[in-house]
Amino acid sequence: MIRAEAVAFTYPNGFRALQGFSFEIKAGEFVALIGANGAGKTTLLKLLGGLLKPTAGRLMVGGLDTSRVRVAELARRVGFLFQNPDHQLFLPTVREELAFGPRNLGLKGRALAERAAGAAAAVGLTPYLEANPRQLSKGQRQRVALASILAMEPPVLVLDEPTTGQDYREALEIMTIIQQLHRQGHTVLCVSHDMEMVACFAERALVLGGGKLLLDGPLAAVFAREDILAATGLLPPQAIQLARAYQAAGLLPPVTTIEELYAAIIGVLRGKKDARQVLPA
Amino acid sequence: MMEPIIKIENFTFYYPDSQAAALAGINLAIRPGEFVGLTGPTGAGKTTLTLALNGIIPNFQGGRLAGRVTVAGRDTATTPCARLAGIIGSVFQDPEAQLVAETVEDELAFGLENLAVPREEMRARITMALEMVAITGLRHRPLSQLSGGQKQKVAIAAAAALQPRILVLDEPTSELDPRSSLEIVNLLQRFNRDYGMTIILIEQKVSLLAPLVPRMVCLHQGRIVADAAPRQVLNQDQLVAELGLEIPPVTTLFRLLRRAGAYHGDLPLEVDQGCRELERLLGPAGTGAFPCRRQ
Amino acid sequence: MPARSFLHELNPLTKVAWSLAVITVAFAFQQPLPLLGLWASVLVVALAGGILKTILPAIRGLIIFAGIFILFQIFLIGEGNTVFTLIPGLGFGRVTDVGLTACTMLALRMLAMTSTIPVILATTPPKEMIVAFVEKLRVPYVYALMLVTSLRFIPTLQEELHLIVQAQRARAYDLESRNIFRRLAGIVPLALPLLLVSVQRARTMAISMETRGFGAGPRTSLRTSTFSALDAGVIAACLLCTLALVLIALR
Repeated sequence: MIRAEAVAFTYPNGFRALQGFSFEIKAGEFVALIGANGAGKTTLLKLLGGLLKPTAGRLMVGGLDTSRVRVAELARRVGFLFQNPDHQLFLPTVREELAFGPRNLGLKGRALAERAAGAAAAVGLTPYLEANPRQLSKGQRQRVALASILAMEPPVLVLDEPTTGQDYREALEIMTIIQQLHRQGHTVLCVSHDMEMVACFAERALVLGGGKLLLDGPLAAVFAREDILAATGLLPPQAIQLARAYQAAGLLPPVTTIEELYAAIIGVLRGKKDARQVLPA
Repeated sequence: MMEPIIKIENFTFYYPDSQAAALAGINLAIRPGEFVGLTGPTGAGKTTLTLALNGIIPNFQGGRLAGRVTVAGRDTATTPCARLAGIIGSVFQDPEAQLVAETVEDELAFGLENLAVPREEMRARITMALEMVAITGLRHRPLSQLSGGQKQKVAIAAAAALQPRILVLDEPTSELDPRSSLEIVNLLQRFNRDYGMTIILIEQKVSLLAPLVPRMVCLHQGRIVADAAPRQVLNQDQLVAELGLEIPPVTTLFRLLRRAGAYHGDLPLEVDQGCRELERLLGPAGTGAFPCRRQ
Repeated sequence: MPARSFLHELNPLTKVAWSLAVITVAFAFQQPLPLLGLWASVLVVALAGGILKTILPAIRGLIIFAGIFILFQIFLIGEGNTVFTLIPGLGFGRVTDVGLTACTMLALRMLAMTSTIPVILATTPPKEMIVAFVEKLRVPYVYALMLVTSLRFIPTLQEELHLIVQAQRARAYDLESRNIFRRLAGIVPLALPLLLVSVQRARTMAISMETRGFGAGPRTSLRTSTFSALDAGVIAACLLCTLALVLIALR
C-alpha cells in the first residue's frame, strides 16, 4: 500500500529531515512510527499526505506517486490526522465539520449526509452531531478531527500523536477506535511516544533517528534492540524490561504486553506449584 | 510539624457563565519542602487549582469563589499576582506560548526586571538559574532555535531566577518526548532535594508521577478524592477504575497477580522494584545477575 | 549567532536618526535620478552591514508594492505629451511623459524611505529597541513591550498558519481555486482556526507574564542603552549630509 524508495527530504532552510531510506507497508498493517522529537516522523507523514514532496527518491501510496497527484486527490487515499485538532476545526457544528472533507471531494446531498453520519458513528460521536466542536473536550475534538478524515473514506490512515494532551481514558478510547478501523481493513501508520500504547496496538514499528530509518520490524524484534532504542531516548515497554532476564534464561516465553506477561507468570507458577494454591477456584 | 506554606480552605470556584463548580470545597495543606503530584482526568480541576495558587484566580481570571487560598501567609485574593511572583513560580504546558522574550537571557531577565532587581544581582541570578537547570550554554541563544524540551527548561529557569519557595508546574511534559520528559522530571527532583523547593507537579502520566512523589493528590469533578502516598492511592482498585488513571504497567502486573492470589506484598511502582518482587516470586533468572539492567 | 557588523553595534536610535535623514532627503528631491541614488545608498548601507541578502525578500515586496502604486496612478495624470495609449481607438489608458516621471519619482521616494525599515529591524534585537525607546525616548514600557511582542508573534503566527493550511489541505481543501469569490470565501477555514489558536496563545502568554511579576511597579532593565563615539559620528554625518543635500535640492 505504501512504498518508499530512497525517500529524502530537505527543508528550504537546508535542514535534512529525511536522509533517504526505503520501506514498504502492506495493506491492512498497523505500524507504529517512533523516535525522538525532531527525528523526522512528522515530515514523513506530511510526505505521505502529499503536503511535502520528496526532494529525492519516490513515495508511492496505493499505486500513486505522491509527487504527481494533487493533495486533494491524495486525500481520498490517505487520511492525515494532525496532532492538534484546533488547527482544523472551524465550523459551528460537528455535522458540518464532518461534511467539510467529502464536500471538498465533490459530494453533495444524501451521499454527503451519509458520509458525515457514518464517520460520526465510527468514532462514537453521533450524540454530538449538532454540538459546537469548540465546546467539546480535547479528546472529543480529536475524535471530531479523526471523523472528518474518515468521512473521506481513505484506506490509509496516518496519525500524528493522536493521544497528545488527553487523559488516559480519552487516549485509550481513541486508540481503541483506531484499532477497530484497523480491523475493518484500514492501513494505519501512527506516530507515538508511548511505548505501552505501541505494545498494545501496533504489529510492527519503524524507528526514526536523525532522519534515518534505524529499525524496521515486528514489535518484538524492534523492542529487543534496546541499544538503538536507548540512543533515541526510548525504553521498551515495562513488560519486556521485567521479563528480559527470564526470557534470556528460557524461563518465560516472549511477551510484549503486561497481560501476556501475567499469563506467562501464572503459567510458570502453575507448573511450580499446585494450581489451586495459586489461583482461587 | 512545620506550618503549611500553602493552605487551601473550603475553596470553591465557578468560571463565569458556568453552572458547574470547577473546584468544590477544596481543603489542602502543603508544608515547605514537599513534592506533591496532582493528578486526575481532564476537566477534574487541576489547571484551575494551579491558577488559584499563583493568584491568576481571582486577580486575572474572574469568576465566583468562596473559601480562601493562602500562600506563604498571603491571601491570594487580596495579594496582586505580581507580589506572589517572587514566592510561587509557575510553568505551563505549552513550551512556546509561555515565553515572552527573544533570547534565553532576556527571558530569564523578564521577571527579574519586573521585580526591579538591580542589574548586577540580576546577572548573578540569571547565571545561577541557568546553572541550576544545566543550560548555561544556551544563555545567548534565540528561543526560536530551541527544541520543546529546551524551551521548557528555559521556562523553569525563568521561574527559578525569581528564587520562589514554591514551584507549580501544569503538565510540563505533555508535549515533550520521553527523553525530554525524564530530564524535566529529574530536574524537579533535584530542585526539591537540593534546594528544598516546594514542588507541585500536575501530571496525567501516573506512571511518571508514582515513582517520583511521596504524596499524590487526585482530583475528580472539582473535588479531592484521594490524598496519600502513590502506593496507597494505587491500592484502591475502585478509585483507579473510576478516575481512569494511567498506572505504571509494572503496578498493573502485580495487581493482577495479587487478584489471582499469587502475590501478597506491596505494589511495586517502578520496574526495578518489580524485578526484585519477580525474583522473589519466580526465583533468580538463572544467570545470577540482577534480572533487570539498571537504566 | 547572527553575524555582527557596525550596523549591529549602533544604538537603535542612531539607526532611527539615519532613517529620518533618508526620509528628509527623499522629500527634498523631486527628480527620479537623485532619488534612485538615495535608494541605492540605503542598499549600500545594507550591503556594508552584511544583511542585504537577509532583507532581500522585504525589498522585493516593497518593489512589488511600488509597481502596483505606479499602475494605479499612472493613468490618472492627464497633462503632458502622450507616450503611449493602452487602447488607442478609445483613447483609454493614456500615459504621458509627465505622469511617467511623476509616478517613477513617487515610487522611488517611497522605496528609498521604506527600505530603511527592514535594515533597522534586521540589525536590532527587539529587546534593544525597547530599552532605547524606554530609556532614551521615555516611551512607557508597556507600549514598547506591546510593539515588540507583536513583532515576536509574527513568525509564530506564520508557522501556525502554515500548519493550518496543511491541516485543511489534508481534508481535500483546495486553495488553488481560480474563482476569485471562492478564493475569498476560502480564507475562512484558515482564518478562523488561526484566530482561535492565537487567542489561546495570547491568553497563555498573558498568564505567564502575570506570574512573573509583570506590572509589579517600577522595573529595572538588564541591558542599558548607550551612545558610543561611533553613534555620535554617524549622527553627525547624517546631519551634515542631510543639510548639504537639502540645500542642493532647494538650490
